[in-house]
Amino acid sequence: MHLLRQPKEKIQVFSNALLNAKSKVGQCKRCFHLTAGEECEICLNQQRDPSVICVVADSRDLIALERTREYKGLYHILGGLISPMDGIGPDLLNISHLVNRVDRENTKEVILALTPSVEGDTTSLYLSRLLKVFVKVTRIAYGLPVGSELEYADEVTLSRAIEGRREVE
Amino acid sequence: MEKRLLVIGPNGVGKSNLLESVELLGSLRSHRSSSDQDLIHWNNDSAIIRAKTSNDENLSLEFRKVGGRKVLKNGKQLSRHLDLLGSVRCVGFSALDLNLVRGEPLLRRSWLDRVVQQLEPVYGDLITRFNRLLRQRNQLWRYWKDSEQANQDVLLDAFDVQMALVSTRIHRRRNRALKHLQPLAAKWQKRLSKGNEDLELNYLPGSALEGEETELSWRLAIEEQLAGQRNDEERLGSCKVGPHRDEVSFLLNGSPARKFGSAGQQRTLVLSLKLAELELVGATFREPPLLLLDDVFAELDPIRQFLLLEAVGDDHQCLISATHLDAFEGDWRRNSQILELERQQDGILEVG
Ligand SMILES: [Zn+2]
Repeated sequence: MHLLRQPKEKIQVFSNALLNAKSKVGQCKRCFHLTAGEECEICLNQQRDPSVICVVADSRDLIALERTREYKGLYHILGGLISPMDGIGPDLLNISHLVNRVDRENTKEVILALTPSVEGDTTSLYLSRLLKVFVKVTRIAYGLPVGSELEYADEVTLSRAIEGRREVE
Repeated sequence: MEKRLLVIGPNGVGKSNLLESVELLGSLRSHRSSSDQDLIHWNNDSAIIRAKTSNDENLSLEFRKVGGRKVLKNGKQLSRHLDLLGSVRCVGFSALDLNLVRGEPLLRRSWLDRVVQQLEPVYGDLITRFNRLLRQRNQLWRYWKDSEQANQDVLLDAFDVQMALVSTRIHRRRNRALKHLQPLAAKWQKRLSKGNEDLELNYLPGSALEGEETELSWRLAIEEQLAGQRNDEERLGSCKVGPHRDEVSFLLNGSPARKFGSAGQQRTLVLSLKLAELELVGATFREPPLLLLDDVFAELDPIRQFLLLEAVGDDHQCLISATHLDAFEGDWRRNSQILELERQQDGILEVG
């Protein structure tokens, strides 16, 4: 490994830098995005619409969505997806915070932007069932995933459409 | 090339390896090896199968001790291994396949899945999805054993909705395939038993498929059953409803072949299923698949041997392995290409 061939002092400097970065970067207390302060830049930005919350699995997804420059609302980071196989139940994700937040902030709409995997769909269905009694819940529309079979994708798309329609009511 | 290729040689010379290679290219599975590690010589890092098809496709399937499988088609690596399927279609039969009649329901489900998979490659995605849902759901109960939690029913609902949908699609496809196989298999069983045996295939789904045969009514019925079995599920730790509990029954002259069939009848039954599969897959793609018969003749009595030889190799290409040429008489042998294998030193088997 490259690091092992460096003089001891250099490694010390490097590891201090890592420790500093770690201690400075924390989580936004409102949306759990990475931030050096109490709240993240997005939550503090007055230009953004606080009545819409987009739910994503982690900060990487947020960054990807931000790149599109389409979305103007706020976010909520779950910190993962429900996956009992990996020992992750709803209690280990920022789900109760989300429910409280939606209630407290008088949110108008929650947009679920989770991958269409088993874990993503399970989490989406779980959240929509918890939330739809007091807020409008929508899911972002997925196009055909690359390399997917047309028939199956059509069925999936269809099922999403049905699922989505049910929730708008 | 002749329609029939006879591979002759003593045991342990690699006859089965050759047939297994074709099977692996056609289905990405082997009936002989449960793990890829078994396919790799202990002294090597990998094993590789290369083939050129009559459609001028170059296929390569590599099994590595580290890094898993690597699949190439015409020199291009395939990220989805399933995309290899379709280049070579084959239906195999070996002595081990008797378990299809005698063994666990799982074996009959895998057989049926392999048929459906050949007809509809997308089916593999459904099975993968269902298995993942089931594993996650089973783990969920273990997760809750350690700590009871709020909203358990809400999370189970989320699983029910997804599982009911995927289950419906799997049930429909298995049911449909079996309906298509039934008359073909019955025809072959009659022919291979000289008209003495009536074969019936029945689908016994692991969910009660109630109401009309529409996606919606089946899905809602399954959703209800999934919700209704939760107490049992919690107690037993496994889900009681779904395609993972499907069974297929084989009846010979009205009696379950598993219990009452003789060894000869059971072997013929498996052959009839395979020939039905061959015909069904062949009709769907207009190009009949390869038939692989691995060391099966020794297991049949002379009359059944004769009837089988008469039945195969006219409409489709077949690869047959045997230790001796004796069984292959007269015209049949003359119309075949014969490949005699001898002991190899370098572990490379080339057939052209
Ligand atoms: Zn924030």
